[in-house]
Amino acid sequence: MEKMIYTLIAVNEGSGKLDQLLLDMKGISGVALNTVCLNGIAAVVGGNNKSDLISDKANALEFAGIIDKLSHGFTLLPMRYGSFMESTDAIALMLERNYQEIEQNLRKVEGKFEFGLKVFCDSEKLKASIILKTEAETGSTTNASPEVKNSVFREYVNAKLKAHRLEELMISYVDTVIAAINAQLAILQAEHKFKKMASAAILIDSIFLLEKGKKNELVDAIKILQSQFPGLDFVLTGPWPPYSFVETTIK
Amino acid sequence: MSENKILFNTGSLDSLSQEIGKLASIEDSKLKLTPDNADSGLAKLVLTLVELIRKLVEKQAMRRVDGGSLTDDEIERLGETLMKLELKMEELKKHFNLTDRDLNINLGPLGDLM
Repeated sequence: MEKMIYTLIAVNEGSGKLDQLLLDMKGISGVALNTVCLNGIAAVVGGNNKSDLISDKANALEFAGIIDKLSHGFTLLPMRYGSFMESTDAIALMLERNYQEIEQNLRKVEGKFEFGLKVFCDSEKLKASIILKTEAETGSTTNASPEVKNSVFREYVNAKLKAHRLEELMISYVDTVIAAINAQLAILQAEHKFKKMASAAILIDSIFLLEKGKKNELVDAIKILQSQFPGLDFVLTGPWPPYSFVETTIK
Repeated sequence: MSENKILFNTGSLDSLSQEIGKLASIEDSKLKLTPDNADSGLAKLVLTLVELIRKLVEKQAMRRVDGGSLTDDEIERLGETLMKLELKMEELKKHFNLTDRDLNINLGPLGDLM
């Protein structure tokens, strides 16, 4: 019978505690959850049918909720929603084949959680303030030189050049904010990933992997950053299971 | 979820909910090639790549203009070329009934192409 894998969990002291916890939990559509174990690693699986599983928001949230609940008691690697294998034997074989990589990843995230930091901005306001600041600092303008010929093609280049310069200024500003974040978080020794200008409103989309015990220090650091950049909105979320720090492809 | 996941937020939650809305629309930006839409799917793929290259060329050109290494005549010719490329691209998008949003394929964990 096909099985959906929810997560891979480190159960170095045996799977008894996990099995006990799973007795009180249900998978998507109310299916029972159980484990397939191999030398201190347990795959939490449910008897969902691939053909019956609907990929909707409610199920995705339920799936995430199960992983979230388990993450508070165990070190785990979340699986992608809808990861199916044809039988428990196939799952056992998968664990055997990928054992070393899974174990390495579990060790990497042991006792750690993921935190998300998004930095929002009013992009138009921010662009205007960056232009003003740059012009004040350099005494020049971000517009192209006024002495050039006034042909339609030249005007076109000027408009593109203005947009290009503004983009460069924005990137430089984002780098400044990222440097400030890194400076604040250096003491926490968090592993991090940054995505610059994820959208017009999201200046920085970043994630951190750090020990759950450092949550309050992280919040304090973000408060300081917020006061350093009052024109931006810092939104910190977590703790999450380590969704973005698992680097393995199941063979 | 068992606990409040928002640890720090000074603004309203509007930005967050808007973002969730954008995430929901990621499905629209995925390339969907099926036997029924092979023509339009392929046109979308090809035009996306052309648009990506056009934007890269434009960016490099602006770097050169900004660097001051081009003469006035060269800038003039560059402007004409870039403008014609953009107009041609608009024409092709219209022909295949595509918008700018259609040409920004979502690459999953890598984010949007452009």
